[in-house]
Amino acid sequence: MSQQAPQEIGQLSFGLMDPEEYREMSATKIITADTYDDDGFPIDMGLMDPRLGVIDPGLECKTCGKHSGSCNGHFGHIELAAPVIHVGFAKLIRRLLRGTCRECAKLCLTEDEKREFIDNLDRTRALGQDLNDVTKSAIRQARKKDRCPHCSEPQYDIQHEKPTTYYEVQQVLSSEYSDMIAEAMEPGEDSERVTPTELAEETGIDAGRIQEILSGEFRPREEDRKAIESALDVDLTEEDMNKLMPSDIRDWFEAIPDEDIEVLGINSDRSRPEWMILTVLPVPPVTARPSITLDNGQRSEDDLTHKLVDIIRINQRFMENREAGAPQLIIEDLWELLQYHVTTFMDNEISGTPPARHRSGRPLKTLSQRLKGKEGRFRGSLSGKRVNFSARTVISPDPTLSLNEVGVPDRVAKEMTQTMNVNERNLDEARRYVSNGPEAHPGANYVRRADGRRLKVTEKNCEELAEKVEPGWEVSRHLIDGDIVIFNRQPSLHRMSIMAHEVVVMPYKTFRLNTVVCPPYNADFDGDEMNMHALQNEEARAEARVLMRVQEQMLSPRFGENILGAIQDHVTATYLLTNENPHFNETQALDLLRATSIDELPDADGTEDGAEYWTGRTVFSELLPEDLNLEFMSSAGDNVLIENGELVEGTIDEDAVGAFGGEVVDTIAKQYSRTRGRIFINEVSSVAVRTIMHFGFSISIDDESIPPAAQAQVDEAIEEANERVEELIDTYEAGELESLPGRTIDETLEMKIMQTLGQARDSAGDIAEDSFDDDNPAVVMAESGARGSMLNLTQMAGCVGQQAVRGERINRGYENRTLSHFEENDLSADAHGFVEHSYREGLNPKEFFFHAMGGREGLVDTAVRTSKSGYLQRRLINALSELETQYDGTVRDTSDTVVQFEFGEDGTSPVEVSSSEDEAAVDVEEIADRVMESEFADENEKDEFLGETREPTNLSEHADDWWLAQSDD
Amino acid sequence: MVDVSNHTLVPDHNLLEEGELEEVLEEYNIQKTDLPKIKRTDPALTKEAEVGDVVKIVRDSRTTDEAVVYRLVVE
Ligand SMILES: [Mg+2]
Ligand SMILES: [Zn+2]
Ligand SMILES: [Zn+2]
Repeated sequence: MSQQAPQEIGQLSFGLMDPEEYREMSATKIITADTYDDDGFPIDMGLMDPRLGVIDPGLECKTCGKHSGSCNGHFGHIELAAPVIHVGFAKLIRRLLRGTCRECAKLCLTEDEKREFIDNLDRTRALGQDLNDVTKSAIRQARKKDRCPHCSEPQYDIQHEKPTTYYEVQQVLSSEYSDMIAEAMEPGEDSERVTPTELAEETGIDAGRIQEILSGEFRPREEDRKAIESALDVDLTEEDMNKLMPSDIRDWFEAIPDEDIEVLGINSDRSRPEWMILTVLPVPPVTARPSITLDNGQRSEDDLTHKLVDIIRINQRFMENREAGAPQLIIEDLWELLQYHVTTFMDNEISGTPPARHRSGRPLKTLSQRLKGKEGRFRGSLSGKRVNFSARTVISPDPTLSLNEVGVPDRVAKEMTQTMNVNERNLDEARRYVSNGPEAHPGANYVRRADGRRLKVTEKNCEELAEKVEPGWEVSRHLIDGDIVIFNRQPSLHRMSIMAHEVVVMPYKTFRLNTVVCPPYNADFDGDEMNMHALQNEEARAEARVLMRVQEQMLSPRFGENILGAIQDHVTATYLLTNENPHFNETQALDLLRATSIDELPDADGTEDGAEYWTGRTVFSELLPEDLNLEFMSSAGDNVLIENGELVEGTIDEDAVGAFGGEVVDTIAKQYSRTRGRIFINEVSSVAVRTIMHFGFSISIDDESIPPAAQAQVDEAIEEANERVEELIDTYEAGELESLPGRTIDETLEMKIMQTLGQARDSAGDIAEDSFDDDNPAVVMAESGARGSMLNLTQMAGCVGQQAVRGERINRGYENRTLSHFEENDLSADAHGFVEHSYREGLNPKEFFFHAMGGREGLVDTAVRTSKSGYLQRRLINALSELETQYDGTVRDTSDTVVQFEFGEDGTSPVEVSSSEDEAAVDVEEIADRVMESEFADENEKDEFLGETREPTNLSEHADDWWLAQSDD
Repeated sequence: MVDVSNHTLVPDHNLLEEGELEEVLEEYNIQKTDLPKIKRTDPALTKEAEVGDVVKIVRDSRTTDEAVVYRLVVE
């Protein structure tokens, strides 16, 4: 049938819809607000008329004859008793009212102006820019005209009262005109009294008329009014708001000529402005607003149906009242009510209009609410939707898993299934799953017989069903260890936010991850949840395993280095293991390596007290590839040298094995393989965990306390700084402060104070730092790059320092002071947020308050930044989503326009090429050396090959000339 | 007026000869209009550039030393 055949969309056109078209496509006119009769059958010409489509299975559509599911439904229509404004076009209606003549309805622009705007429109359209800019300026120009350039009718201002009321603002004769004239005739400060006769003479109005005007018996006409106004220098007018009814507007718009609306960018073939005023309302098919039968048998109608009921009721009342000749006031009230219902039918979230509510008080979800926003049709149902075979739960850490694995709760594994195609070879296996039933773990939930019938596996039928399973069947078995699944944490900001993991089924309710995959997901375990998707066909599983597995995503395309690696305590541990190169006895060394693949210790580094010992660096070297050579600077500041897989010297820390570009991890992943990289990271983290358990690592308040002597020094440094600030303030107040170039005196003072206090904080920090040992845990963490910095430490032990809002000392609060605890215009350090205590000492109340101010700014900044950058990224992704790298290396868009002639203009992979500026992007020489080395067994063979010139063989005699020329030099 | 084409950050913009253009179009199997565009009024272009010409832009690259791009002169 034709509906099954694929169809191609030839063209889409957007425009207004002709009311005639509504009537033509309508399956029925709707005249009654009732939906079902007493027997539960839909009422003809009611809102549930069977001609509008079917929702109940088994019934036949009265319009197309099809059944529910294949009938898409058919529109009906309501004939509105009076025209109403379409809210969606309120702004365009206002523009047209302002730009066209109230008398002849032509656009208030001269022919030349019109032509100019049409040209401008064509140009803008060709450039693909916003047409609105042109049409807006056309309206602005038309609105400037006081009189119509075509019929010279004076034009009035149009006021728009949101959402759908329009007024014409006219200047009319004030009702108190006689009093106003009389008052103006009285003698003023610099004017004589004006007699009626004088007024008559000056204005040329009959003296008797003047008398009548003064007594209020006669309203002067416009010319007379103007004459009196100019004679007496008064304004006799007042503003009159003349409401434009939708019917008036419709008549007005009908008269706008086609060529005039073209100037406003409206295609007159498709859209006429009067169609923005509705006379017919299309009624959506019942399939778009299905009614639900509740458990108690009661029918519950869709919000749209409720709204349509309101519209029909008011529509009927309107017609009845009009026929009965009801007073204009009542008609207008009903008209407004009809407008309200039609407006909220389309959009129920208009500011200034109370939303239409359900009986329960919940605002109704009408047309626009169905489409708009995150949960709307576009973002909620079309671009993204809920899927089957997915699970979501809290995550927690498990350092015993490989980074490629994910711990899946057994209850998830039993819900999520993989389809097994049964054949001779896996028949026994398949039967075993089925016989386990749906409750026992490696079981099955469904089977599909060869004839396509799907059967549910239950506790009761599983044994029986297992017998019947045979080749050709499909078994939906539980997830088991080793299955590949996709794992994701929102927000999915880069491709490593979605990676494939191998399943390890586990007890309890959380997903378990190795902590080294936290950086790519940006996950922590303070309640984070993640999603898992079970893959449903072989292609997907193969693709996930080859391209998406965690180890394949080890290198980040963002900066071209590893994103997986040691974090936090791992880094602390490798530092402890290698920095001072401690000694371990055999038991200890074996214990460190016991979770790795190394089961034999190398030769001991020496003997101590009669027992052999191994150094930390030797233990670490066991994890390195045999032939690795590397030299770099560590984060702790020493030189790390690795020769033939042996760590000769240096500290292994953040810069060596850390996530985000740890040198050793990066090199292994690039020079060996991702698999070798994965093994290395797993083993480093295992060794690190054992190491930190061996040494023990904890931190306490005492670790941040400094000796009294040091504290006295810190206090002295701060006291000194305070004195220097006082001196600066004195010089400033004496007017002796010299301003820095390009700065005012005040700015100079501020800068100098900030500088002085900054130095004070630094020297307090230095003093504090000197009193810490190298084995202080905070120092170890800062040195190794595991967590925190020296600044954090000095703030804890020395002095917190200046608090800032907007990069300045704190200046806000009361008039001329920050808090009422200070005198006005106090410029001193403590009055503007200098915190001289350390976190360990504790802050005093004033300091605490300033600290909260600075802290709050930071919080607000991050909140604003994330929302801003999120939206920016959304737009960027949408703009670039259709660009694709072609097989010829070019990057093109969907219309085949070249965007880049070579991917990234260099054709290099952002994963393999580090984007850090300090080294060459591609070290060709180094790569060449490595390749050469791996090609030859030893140096001799290589030299032989490089020095060798092979005699050309089988050369024809015709090439003798060439041969001679070659051997000449 | 400052001639921006002499600025160190502005790469060379050279007009393409007829023959060269053919080669480029053939290499990428495209029409002239599939090329990225550049406005005739762009200050980096030479005075001789006319609408419909194609310029070859040779930029410095950290990875490949030189990155070549072609643009069609428009408007
Ligand atoms: Mg969290
Ligand atoms: Zn139908
Ligand atoms: Zn007119």
